[in-house]
Amino acid sequence: MKNYLKLVNFEISRFFKLYLILIGLTIVCQLIGVIRVSKGYMDLAEKVMDKNQLSVSRFIEQYGTFSVQRFVYSEWFLMSIYIGIAILIIYVFLIWYRDWLGKNSFIYRLLMLPTERITIYFAKLTAIMLLLLGLITLQRLLVLIEIQIVNSIVPSDFRTYSYGISNIDIFVLLYPNTFTAFILNYGIGLIFVAVLFTAILFERSYRLKGIFFAIVYGVLSLGVFFAPLLLNGFYPRYFYPLEIILMGMVTSFIVLGSTIWIANHLLKHKIMV
Amino acid sequence: MIEVKNVHKKYGRKQVLKDLSFTAKKGEITCLIGINGVGKTTIMKAIMALTPINSGEILIDGEKIRKDSFEKITFIPDTIAMLPQMRIDEAFTFMADFYKSWNPQRAEELLQFFKLDPTEKIANLSKGSMAKVNMLLGLALDVDYLLMDEPFSGIDMFSREQIAEVFTSHLIEERGVILTTHEISDIEHLIDKAVLIDNGEVIMEFSVEEVRENEGKSVVDVMREVYRG
Repeated sequence: MKNYLKLVNFEISRFFKLYLILIGLTIVCQLIGVIRVSKGYMDLAEKVMDKNQLSVSRFIEQYGTFSVQRFVYSEWFLMSIYIGIAILIIYVFLIWYRDWLGKNSFIYRLLMLPTERITIYFAKLTAIMLLLLGLITLQRLLVLIEIQIVNSIVPSDFRTYSYGISNIDIFVLLYPNTFTAFILNYGIGLIFVAVLFTAILFERSYRLKGIFFAIVYGVLSLGVFFAPLLLNGFYPRYFYPLEIILMGMVTSFIVLGSTIWIANHLLKHKIMV
Repeated sequence: MIEVKNVHKKYGRKQVLKDLSFTAKKGEITCLIGINGVGKTTIMKAIMALTPINSGEILIDGEKIRKDSFEKITFIPDTIAMLPQMRIDEAFTFMADFYKSWNPQRAEELLQFFKLDPTEKIANLSKGSMAKVNMLLGLALDVDYLLMDEPFSGIDMFSREQIAEVFTSHLIEERGVILTTHEISDIEHLIDKAVLIDNGEVIMEFSVEEVRENEGKSVVDVMREVYRG
């Protein structure tokens, strides 16, 4: 347990510089974006109203009110989200491959630590999840600031009142309202990353042949994971929703349990440095 | 004692280790000798469970390797097994964090012996200094067995001399060492036992002293006989 925490701390500190850059980039990109988008809207309003001699209400009729949605669907916002997601996905691979590649062979050290090797896997998995949660928390704070910025630039006559993040539809997935939904969303994310990790370990154990194993394993895992939904698709209304959920829980545990078991076996007996 | 028993290993279709067996005792320096590509590094990796074997058995003091074994045996690969962006003292902290067998006094002693600056970043070190740090990280562990892969290759003469000095000092005494080399002449006087390997097979295993006393031959003489027929 102690070694696990040390390794988590170690993995996070290794990514931290890049993480700070990513956070900085997100903040700068979104703040510039929110200012530009709301200023752009106001410039448009002034120009159009001036040119066509429109009242505020007529302008809103034609061009719509300003809501945070307008910013959320702008390239500024989407770009920063996509960059964040892309970097995290790349890092899921890099967190393993960086230890093999390059001049140093840090993987020697990691695999020779006097601790169960699966601890390394758990630590890397935890690091990825923490980094993800960190970014999501940052986004939550940023949106609050952004709403304030919008409010200071766009007068209230032009605005649709924003209640907060929960009514911005793309956030529903990221910020679930209930604890169950939270566990569900992030649990699925965790399983997905765990399966990817095991697939990477297949490649690291069997190299070229391992890529084939990894693909087969990945497809099988996804198949098992989505089996309840597929069943529901083939036999609509045959199962009660509760049954589907229970089946989903069972298949999730099967996928997660098997992925950890396989990863443990590969790390212990098959891994190749 | 480290026992390597009837180990077979294949990379794809290529048989890299063929029924390979030898033993290495505590308190002795055992040298695996052979040209490049005969499987010397693979043997070390196999002992440390860093590469799988197809059949056979490897025992350390009669036991298969498990997590606690890494407090008893360590491997010094031919590249540095630490993050290059770390400073030497940070690397020490890392080792102390994870290994009960890390011996800080000995690390300090080695640092002085090798004349290394602990605040130096590993990535900025010369090749010779990097090899010394790599060696240090293994030597400062209070382990019974040390495996070293080509500790003398690719470094300057003076670093080589310093490393050779370590072998005759108290830093190695009492411990079991297995090292590989393809260049025996420099270290012939250091080793107790030679294991000649070719094509993944042990072709000869002998005590250097016995052969020297009984037959008046050096390791190189024996090798000449074996390889040239």
